[in-house]
Amino acid sequence: MDRKQELFNYDSLALFGRVNASISHELKNIMAIISETAGLLSDLSEMAKGGTAIDPDILTGSIDSIAEEIERGFTTIRQMNRFSHSVDIPVGSTDLMEILDLVGQLCGYLAFAGKMRIHPCREASPVVQTSPFILQAVVYQTVAGIFKNTGPDTELDVSVQLRDDASWRILFDGAGIKAFELHAGDGIARMAASIGVAIHWEPAGDRLEMTVPFSI
Amino acid sequence: METDNTIKILMVDDEVKFLKAISDRLNLKGFEVTTATNGDDAIDAASKGGFDVAVVDLQMPGTDGAQVLKILKQNHKFIEIIMLTGHATVDSAVECTKLGAFKYLEKPYDFDKLVEALKEAFQARLTHKFESNMNRMAAIQKLSLQQSPLGLLREMARLDDGRK
Repeated sequence: MDRKQELFNYDSLALFGRVNASISHELKNIMAIISETAGLLSDLSEMAKGGTAIDPDILTGSIDSIAEEIERGFTTIRQMNRFSHSVDIPVGSTDLMEILDLVGQLCGYLAFAGKMRIHPCREASPVVQTSPFILQAVVYQTVAGIFKNTGPDTELDVSVQLRDDASWRILFDGAGIKAFELHAGDGIARMAASIGVAIHWEPAGDRLEMTVPFSI
Repeated sequence: METDNTIKILMVDDEVKFLKAISDRLNLKGFEVTTATNGDDAIDAASKGGFDVAVVDLQMPGTDGAQVLKILKQNHKFIEIIMLTGHATVDSAVECTKLGAFKYLEKPYDFDKLVEALKEAFQARLTHKFESNMNRMAAIQKLSLQQSPLGLLREMARLDDGRK
């Protein structure tokens, strides 16, 4: 079995589907806003034709709203594109900060998720040789698992530190993590194990730590 | 007795801009719209009464649409509820129907279909209220033949219990 088949199994496909479903939900919301705002402009236009005076501020506000939603749509599609291309290379150089940035964006599409505050890494650029998609999947499901238990009003501090001469650690703090379970259970645990990632939750310290080896 | 034909709608969605656009359009069509951006605010607004139909987004942070549907149907006997969702599934449609949703629409939807659904829901509410009043009157008539005046008052209070 080659490396690609070994890494990209049903668990990966399931995660891919879940993330795409959350993105499509976001896009539907954007389309609904554009559609209703365009409809409102159409209604106002009909009223204007009938002689009703229309407040220009309503027109300007509606046009601005459509423009903002189109920009939001482009941003969402850019994240979708980044996520989709993360399966291109089974194993390669992967920047942990880029993974965290994308996960932060993708988690923003989950209704139950709070905010991720990603702190800059104080050490050299934290690059590892791993499967970018699998690592991203593990981080995403870990963050989703945290927010499932802490709720949408929480803020999660995320930082990356050098752990030892063979690994980095990603720290998740400050969201009042009272309970934790991987959002998708065993599948993600298997994915984490497949790239040597270990997850350790310390209830007393309100901290979750993820160890990522330099190389798999 | 219904004295005002304006349909009073409670619109619930965590997407603020969507809420603004849709409520502006519905206001132009002659509906009276109150908005809520989360489930708890919707339940609070409904507790003050006066809504004919609620339009509720299924997926919201905190108290989600299914919970709002359940609580509104428990607390307000005659309110009709239309569920909106960006992610329609057979399971969620069945769950909402079981909880008493009048209709289940997927976003983005046709605005005219929403307006039609609102009018149908309002009609269903009136019919439901009318039938309930007829049943109540029939029950009172029957009781008045069997009960003392005090017993009749007690039974009427029981009939009215939870009727909002």
